[in-house]
Amino acid sequence: MKKLILGATLALTTLAGGAVFADDYPERPVMMMVSYGAGGATDFQARIVTMTAGNEDALGMPIAIINKPGAGGRVGWNWFATQAEADGYTLGAYNVPHFIAQSIKGGVEYSTDSFEPIANWGADPAVFVVATDSPMNSMDDVVAFANENPGKLTFSGAGLFVGHHIAALQLEKAAGVKMAYIPTKGGGAAAMKAVIAGEVMGGVNNLSDAFRAQEAGNVKILGVFDLERNAFLPDVPTLKEQGYDIDNASVNFRGIMVPKGTPPEVIDTLAATVPEMFKNGKVSKKMDAGGSPMHIMTRDEVIEMWAAREETLKELLAGL
Amino acid sequence: MTVPSLPRVQHIVASGVIAAVGCWVAWVSYTQQPAEAFLFPRLISTVFVVLALWTFAKALMGWTKVGHGLGRIDVINLFPGLIIALIYVFWLAKALGFYTAGAIVFFILLAIYDPAPHRELKTWIKRIIITACYLVVMYGLFAKLLKVYTPREVFF
Amino acid sequence: MEFLYYFGDVFAPVSFGLLILGTVGGLILGATPGLSPTMAVALLIPFTFHLQPVQGLILLGAAYTSTVAGGAVSAILLKIPGAPANIATTLDGHTMAKQGKGAKALQLSFLASAVGGVIGVLLLIFLTPVLSKWALAFGPSHLFWLAILGVTVIGSLDSSSVVKGLLSGCIGLWLATIGFDDIMGAQRFIFHPALGGGINIIAALIGLFAIPQVLTMFAKGRSDKGAEVIAVEKHSVIDAVREVARQPRALSIGTITGSVIGLIPGVGGQIAGLVAYDQTKKFSPNRDQFGKGHPEGVIAAEAANNAMVGPSLVPLLTLSIPGSPTAAVLLGGLLIHGIFPGTDLFDNHPDVAWTFINSMLIGQILMCIFGLYVAGLAARVAQVPQSVMAAVVLGLAVFGSYSVQSSMGDVYVMAALGVMMYFLERFGFSAAPLVLGLILGPIAEANFIQGSMIAGATDGLGAYFLSGALNIALIGAVVASIIYSSWMEIKSRRYTSKEEIMG
Repeated sequence: MKKLILGATLALTTLAGGAVFADDYPERPVMMMVSYGAGGATDFQARIVTMTAGNEDALGMPIAIINKPGAGGRVGWNWFATQAEADGYTLGAYNVPHFIAQSIKGGVEYSTDSFEPIANWGADPAVFVVATDSPMNSMDDVVAFANENPGKLTFSGAGLFVGHHIAALQLEKAAGVKMAYIPTKGGGAAAMKAVIAGEVMGGVNNLSDAFRAQEAGNVKILGVFDLERNAFLPDVPTLKEQGYDIDNASVNFRGIMVPKGTPPEVIDTLAATVPEMFKNGKVSKKMDAGGSPMHIMTRDEVIEMWAAREETLKELLAGL
Repeated sequence: MTVPSLPRVQHIVASGVIAAVGCWVAWVSYTQQPAEAFLFPRLISTVFVVLALWTFAKALMGWTKVGHGLGRIDVINLFPGLIIALIYVFWLAKALGFYTAGAIVFFILLAIYDPAPHRELKTWIKRIIITACYLVVMYGLFAKLLKVYTPREVFF
Repeated sequence: MEFLYYFGDVFAPVSFGLLILGTVGGLILGATPGLSPTMAVALLIPFTFHLQPVQGLILLGAAYTSTVAGGAVSAILLKIPGAPANIATTLDGHTMAKQGKGAKALQLSFLASAVGGVIGVLLLIFLTPVLSKWALAFGPSHLFWLAILGVTVIGSLDSSSVVKGLLSGCIGLWLATIGFDDIMGAQRFIFHPALGGGINIIAALIGLFAIPQVLTMFAKGRSDKGAEVIAVEKHSVIDAVREVARQPRALSIGTITGSVIGLIPGVGGQIAGLVAYDQTKKFSPNRDQFGKGHPEGVIAAEAANNAMVGPSLVPLLTLSIPGSPTAAVLLGGLLIHGIFPGTDLFDNHPDVAWTFINSMLIGQILMCIFGLYVAGLAARVAQVPQSVMAAVVLGLAVFGSYSVQSSMGDVYVMAALGVMMYFLERFGFSAAPLVLGLILGPIAEANFIQGSMIAGATDGLGAYFLSGALNIALIGAVVASIIYSSWMEIKSRRYTSKEEIMG
């Protein structure tokens, strides 16, 4: 029954789509699903990059953000893959490696095949933070402690099988130590609070949030889980520089996608306009002010990035 | 009271249903994997089952103190409204769009529960006007002010 | 006293205009079912893109304070709490409205909100450094015990039977586990696709409170003439002020509970109202009047939920950690303008920080004035004929629950829970303990799991959860609460007459 309805809807939308969508899309406001809570880093950035959508040179229609938070993003993406209408009026924000890692781990109804990427707007590397009064001053100190006290070094992150957890797994693997990763409920903010309040000894967090916390004098940033140093933190060395073989697999890429089955004309229109929308000077100014690194990629580049990420993650998660 | 009164039978049925739900929850909690994720549900469901069985036992013994159950008149009055409300929520709202379905259901409910005499034209005019006002307010509040895009199928 | 220096900025024409706009708009948004303060503030963020940072924050601050108070309007008049903060307000507030005292209930709620709110903001102004330490003192083990403390309140809350109250709480705790488990990501009890996202608390609130209301009106049938309330009692503002002044106990318990609990990141805002209500009830000599339209209930609940507004921003403004969803949205509003909360805010942008805080102070008072002005008029809602009222509330419930996440699933959940609650209420169960379970369940669970993970890596479960002054104090409070409830239960048993048992 469900398949039948789905089929009928699909047929109808394609019928209508072929004629209408090519020139008229979009003719009403577009909705964008963010699978994290209002006020989180993804939500905040999504609101900034879509704020110029109503301009004539962009979509010409505003984009409204809808939050569907829960279980590290699984709730939102599951809804997006199974229940969202593929009519071009329902966009979604993706977080790589989060949704790819979750789909590899299983228990969800989506994979890279369930979605069509449109464009990427940002890349937020994970960083390792400790409280300001912590005796640890480099990643070597962290690893040395973990070596002496196997499984006793507690460090927080935003959940299981999200970017922070991937970074944690990479660190454990590269340094050959056992540590205690503590996933928190409530995203990066809760994980950061645990570090500042001294509930845990360290933490993996978003570069943008950690940068702010460091400015406020609450944490020290010991290393960046990326290939190169970040423009926001030119003095903080990467993990690779500190002698750990860790690539950019945990970098949190954020961008826009649509569900599979969206009419190709719509995808083409979006893929052409959305990256231009991101390039708007106003957007980059606001993103910069908020300490959020931008990284604009086109649809083709994102497809490539998703495929590459899936391969690395399958390898990394195979042992778990 | 020699024969079990209506509320007593109802109390037995109601607490029986709750106890059954509790047992189902407990069964699911104790059988599903992964065990770590069901730790908390196990804890809750255990307390749930104990309390539910206690309530059930109390109902069986006729010791239930609170709750008046449902009277016959209540059920007769409730039935049409409940059915229409359920049809509205689970089917009509999506099928006809929120505003169209909302207006139709509003009008039907008004016609059923408004005590004004059905035979007078004035009554019907009043009902139509109230429905129209309702529609305007809802549309203004949700579509215009809050910009919520509700499902739309027929008209708007 | 630095804040006095920036008071002038609030009264600049554009700023003051925005303040009024935010306050009035906030009251309307807050009174709309399905719009929680968090969503209302998030809705306003795009408007601040075009404003100066200070002006944008004035708008957001005013909207935050007045949406919290606006939630009381729908709670009192329609029995639809706008947000978890307003649940306790429905208990006595709606009963008062049904007795024709809607105007009085609204006036009391606005006055109590203003008193609580102003004190809360003053705490934010004067005690921020001390308070921020307190906010950080709560780790997973403490939050776990705090949630358990909340659970012990369940039995004594708005229910004539302790066992049924506890059972309602259990049902709520179970409902909260439906959906994806937040930490492990496992699927639990998803027996219908609409439950995939778990049960949204706002949609659940609408269903649990509004739908039984609608069905009760249906059950009265068309024979019932006209409205529930024939005449709405007029109530003068001066009398309302006197009434509030006569209830210093409710007012102070509400304010203190609200500001202390409001501080605790992640928990406070949601349960402050209910805990304050429960405490006031326990300390009141007229505790049997609670739930039957007692003014103290409204005053305590509303004083608490507005007192929470100021302190809930302490972790955000001092440490840049958003302690509540609304604070997280406000953080976004600050970041867009390149302002980082924390020491940077008070050192480099004192004009922004203090104007924002001052605007909340003035906003509380404006909200009260405006609220008192419309209270008499708004209370006339109770005069709407029942048939119309039932249909309107049903419509609002459907639209409101849909607009939370633009999801049909939430509407289904709302309706299913609502119909279930109607039948449960007929058998002596009540919605308030169930909702408390629904709110506290995830807090208790997540903190227990997180705490046990930390404990597993460090000094063991027992030491982690049972040692430390704060843990012991909280456990003491839990034990005291249980003993108190059981004692009250035994005492009331003794006095229950035979007729009551039969009835």
